[in-house]
Formats: sequence, structure tokens, C-alpha cells
Amino acid sequence: MASSLPPAANPPSAKWLKLALVGALALMVIGAALFYYASEKARDAKLAQTGNEVAVTINATSCDPNDLTVPAGRTVFRIVNKSERAVEWEILDGVMVLEERENIAPGISQTLTAKLAAGTYEITCGLLSNPRGTLHVTPSANAESSRPAPVAFIGPVAEYRFFLAMQASGLTKAVQAFADAVKAGDLAKAQALYVPTRTIYSQIKPVADSFADLDNAIDAYADYFEKKEQDPGFSGFHRLEYGLFAQKSTSGLGPVAGKLVADAAALQTRLRSLDVAPEKLADGASRLMARSAAAAVTGNDERYSHTDLADFEAYVAGSRKIADLLRPISAKAAPQLSASIDQNLDTVTKTLETLKQAGGFPPYDQVSEADRKKLGDAMQGLAAGLGKLNAAIGLE
Amino acid sequence: MKIRHSAAMLTLALGLMAGTAHAAVSPSELVGPVTDYKIYVTENLDELVKDTKAFTDAVKAGDLAKAKALYGASRVHYEGIEPIAELFSDLDGSIDSRADDHEKKEQDPGFTGFHRIEYGLFVTGSTDGLTPFADKLMSDVLDLQKRVAGLTFPPEKVVGGAAALLEEVASSKISGEEDRYAHTDLFDFQANIDGAKKIFELFRPLIEKSDKAFVKKVAANFATVDKILAKYKTADGYEYYDKVTEADRKALSGPVNTLAEDLSKMRGKLGLN
Repeated sequence: MASSLPPAANPPSAKWLKLALVGALALMVIGAALFYYASEKARDAKLAQTGNEVAVTINATSCDPNDLTVPAGRTVFRIVNKSERAVEWEILDGVMVLEERENIAPGISQTLTAKLAAGTYEITCGLLSNPRGTLHVTPSANAESSRPAPVAFIGPVAEYRFFLAMQASGLTKAVQAFADAVKAGDLAKAQALYVPTRTIYSQIKPVADSFADLDNAIDAYADYFEKKEQDPGFSGFHRLEYGLFAQKSTSGLGPVAGKLVADAAALQTRLRSLDVAPEKLADGASRLMARSAAAAVTGNDERYSHTDLADFEAYVAGSRKIADLLRPISAKAAPQLSASIDQNLDTVTKTLETLKQAGGFPPYDQVSEADRKKLGDAMQGLAAGLGKLNAAIGLE
Repeated sequence: MKIRHSAAMLTLALGLMAGTAHAAVSPSELVGPVTDYKIYVTENLDELVKDTKAFTDAVKAGDLAKAKALYGASRVHYEGIEPIAELFSDLDGSIDSRADDHEKKEQDPGFTGFHRIEYGLFVTGSTDGLTPFADKLMSDVLDLQKRVAGLTFPPEKVVGGAAALLEEVASSKISGEEDRYAHTDLFDFQANIDGAKKIFELFRPLIEKSDKAFVKKVAANFATVDKILAKYKTADGYEYYDKVTEADRKALSGPVNTLAEDLSKMRGKLGLN
């Protein structure tokens, strides 16, 4: 703008400057008004577009039409009840209700707005005994892009937090029983409870970074401490494992078990309000699998009890939980990757299954090098698949 | 001075333009309440399983008096979580459909669940022939518990559930047609209200940030409804619905309809439309 002004011998007066500013302000207000007008118009156009209602009439014994086709995206249905009873109208995906309008009185019509993805659905037509109609939803350019909206992650993350809450509540109970056995000096019982207690915790390991302090207290290895097994800071599951399986005694373990009970309780409280970012899910599972792939070769995870396989199984279960929760999103946004992760999950699960014997998993020091490598490779494959997931579903 | 003043005006004008997009709730803020709602529903299902077991055991034992006494309370934990329970259309039909939903009404072989047993207990006045319905109800409720455990709760259904519950109250509870044989509608009425209030309370802090007046109005209407319902509380439940005075039915209908309308705005306020 300044370049269009003629060169001035004197600097512009304050009066001119003020006028220019007022002018600019006026332009902005006009611009804002135009913008508002334009967006209102756009909204009107959108309303008019969705205003094309699809009418469905419910008669005494059927819907008319009984077979509907609409494009993916938002559709407004007008349901006209021409039967003699109050009815409800539902759009079903299998047995699940996607949308419904209840208690439509006889002779009355109501509208229902549904945002539908491409696919074939059933519609109910009045009485429960009436035959159902079919709703075909065809792919459409108007439907949302394949990049998932942020709201798409609310459900999966909420469900994951529910899972964390359930695991934490199971853990506090199991840890109490485990600690009771330790304190009662019941070595055999304490040894037997070690794996089922620990594996509850192992399943939430993908997000352990989010509570690193408690994870260190609950699940650190002796290597992390200066004096290793003899270090007073060494606590949690592996300290108990060391006592129960290497020293084969419960003596001196009472306070360690007591601390684990307190730490599990603290974890339960922490998890109740823990914010989990959606990108933590696949990322955490991928890193846990990569770490486990390395541990499968060394066998260092459960070095005193050699119960590594039960651990790996729990890590895979925890990772599968995450893959399950993200699948509705990944199957749409990245179908190939989603399928290949499922295949990775199958491979690692089958590899673990083949190692199982009549009495459960064998001690890991009896697993051959070849089998260890095979398991490690399978977990590495899963880690790689999960590692690509965030980028594929718009989380990076 | 003047220049600074004008610059301030410019900033103000720009701010006004930006202000047309109002403060929205971020999706991540909705995660916590949805999680808590699943915990609430899960706890209610645990209770529903216990109550249904006691109720169906009484029916199967032929203890008519006990079965009738347990009927009203046994449904409470279903009615409170209907936004989720209703998502499973097959189970909702077999657990909670009314005779009207079936071609031959009470005589229809497809008529099962709570209301079929209610019909036997309160109209036929006998537990005869109810055992198969009792067994089916119990297994359906266990099936529901299992399915909900594996369900990722759709946030828009959770938030929309508050209005859905109030619409249910408005359309079938005020009229007294839900438990038409037992007249225990007030149990369901209160359970629907409690279920809606739970959802409202979970999301209340998020809405309060942008619309204090809305939150205040909704809370006041809930309080009015609760106050009227409290008049009909008895030692072990509620009076029969036919005892509710015409004046109170009218007094309930205003706030119930307003609540239904207000709660239907929650999805929009939370960015879930």
C-alpha cells in the first residue's frame, strides 16, 4: 500500500495517518460483514442440500420404500407413521442401532438426521415382527475425507482409559493376595501367584511411560540400581521374583510386598485421571514390542523365574487391545496396514501358542535359540507395523 | 500516543472478527467423561445382573408375592443406562419391549422380557408358565453385560443419551404406559432422570466454561423434577403411578419437556454434531 503513495517531502501528518487508519478499520468491518454474509450463504446452501429429505412411510406390516439408497454423508430421513400404533424407526448395523427415532405417534411424521458411512444397513419397519428393509449407502465424494477427525479418537481413548481402570482395579486385588501369601511365608503360593499378578500389570505396559515413577517402583530390573539385587532401592515385582525364585525364600520380603501394595494403589488413583494422548497408544505398543523382541533373544526379563513367555503373552495382549481399539479407524484410513498389523498379531500369537506345553509355558531357559529368534522376529514385525500406524491415521 | 491508540483499535477490530468462532471444547476433554460414563454403566450392569437374578429366581420358585415386590426395583438399573442398552436392538427388544411392539400384543410368542413377566405377575396373577421367560431374561441380561464390556462407547451416543432419556420420560412415563400392568412407573421415571442427570453432571464442567446460564437452568429443572418425585417415595421404593395427582403430573411435564429440549443441545455445545 505504501508504494502506491506518492513520495512525500514531509512525513504524513498525524491527521492523515488517523484518517488512513479509520479507512482501514472501515474496510475491515465491511470485510467482516461480507465474510459473515458469505458464510451464512454457504450454510444456507448446505442446508438446502441436506434439506432433500428421504421419505420413509411405515405401514402396518412394512416400510415404503422397503429398499433405499442414499449417498454417504449426512442424510435427513422423514419417517411417516401410517400404521395404527406408535412405532420407532431404527437404522441398524448388524444388531447395533446407529440412529433411531422413538415413539412416532400414528399419523405423525418425524425427521432423523444420520451421518452414514458407505455400506449396507437394515432398517426397522414398525412392529418387531415386521420384515426389515434395506438401506444402501453408496460411497460419495461429499463424505468426509479418509483422514479421521479428532473426535474419532474420543471413543477409542476413552475405552482404553476404561481398560486401564479395570486393569488397575484387578491389579490392586491381585497384588493384595500376592502380598498376603508372601507375608504368610507361603513360598509355593507366592511363587504360583507371581505370574498371574504380574501379567495384569504387563498388559498396561504400552503406556507405562506416562507413569514412569510408579513403573520404576513396580517394575524396574536390578540392573538399574548401583548395587543391583543388593540395592535398597530395588523394589517391586522383580525384587520379589528375586527372593521367591532365586533365593527361594519369603524372608525379608514382607516390606517389599507391602510397598508393592501401596504402589499399586497409587497407580490406581493415578490412572483414574491420567490423560492419554491418542498417539501414545500405537506408539507405546510398538515400542513395547520392539523392546520385547530384543528381550526374547536375551531372556533377561524374568531372569530368576524364567516366566518370560507369560510376560510376552501379556505384552501382546496389551498391544492387541490397542490395535483392536484403533481398528475401526485404521481399517478405513489405512486398510492395507491395518490388515498387515492383524496378520502380525496372528503370527506372534501363533508363535507363542506353538511354544505352549501341556502344563502351560515352559521355563524360558529351556526355549531353544531358534525358537527365541522366531518369537523375536514375530514381535519385531508387529512392532514395525504398529510403528507406522500413527502416521497412517493422521496422528503425526 | 494517537498511533498507539489506533493500533489498539485495530487489534480490537481483528479480535472481533476472530470472535465469531466461539470457544469450543477440545475432543480430548471429552475422553474423561466418556470413560467415567462407561464405569457408571458397568457398575449399573453389575447391579442389574444381581437384581435380575433375585427377581427371576423368585419367579421360578413360584413366589408370586416376592416376584411382584421385586419387579419395580429390578428394572431400575436397566432404565438408567438405556442410552447404551438400547444400542443393541435385539436385546432391547427381548428385554424391554412392550406388548404394543408385537403384532398379537400380549399373546404374541415374541413378547418376552420384563414386561411379559410383569403381565403374568400383575394381570394373570400367577407365576405359571413364566419360567422360560425368566430364564431368557436372565441370559439376555448376562449377554448385555458381556456386549457392553466389549463396546467402545460412541461419544455422541453418550452425550445424546441425556436427551434420549428425557424424551423417553416425556413420551411414555408421564402417561404411565411403561409399566401398565404393575404401575411401578415411578421407579423407571426416577431411573431415567438419574441416568440423564449423570450424563449432564459428567459433562457439566465443560459446558459451564462457555454457558453458565444453560447449566444453571438445567440443574434447576432437574431439582424440580426430583422434588416432585420425592413426594412419592416410600420405605422400599415408590408409590404406584396411579397415586400421582393430576396436578403433579402437570407440574412434572413442564420441566421434563424443557429438560428434553435443553439436553438435546448438549451435543452441539460439545462439538459432537
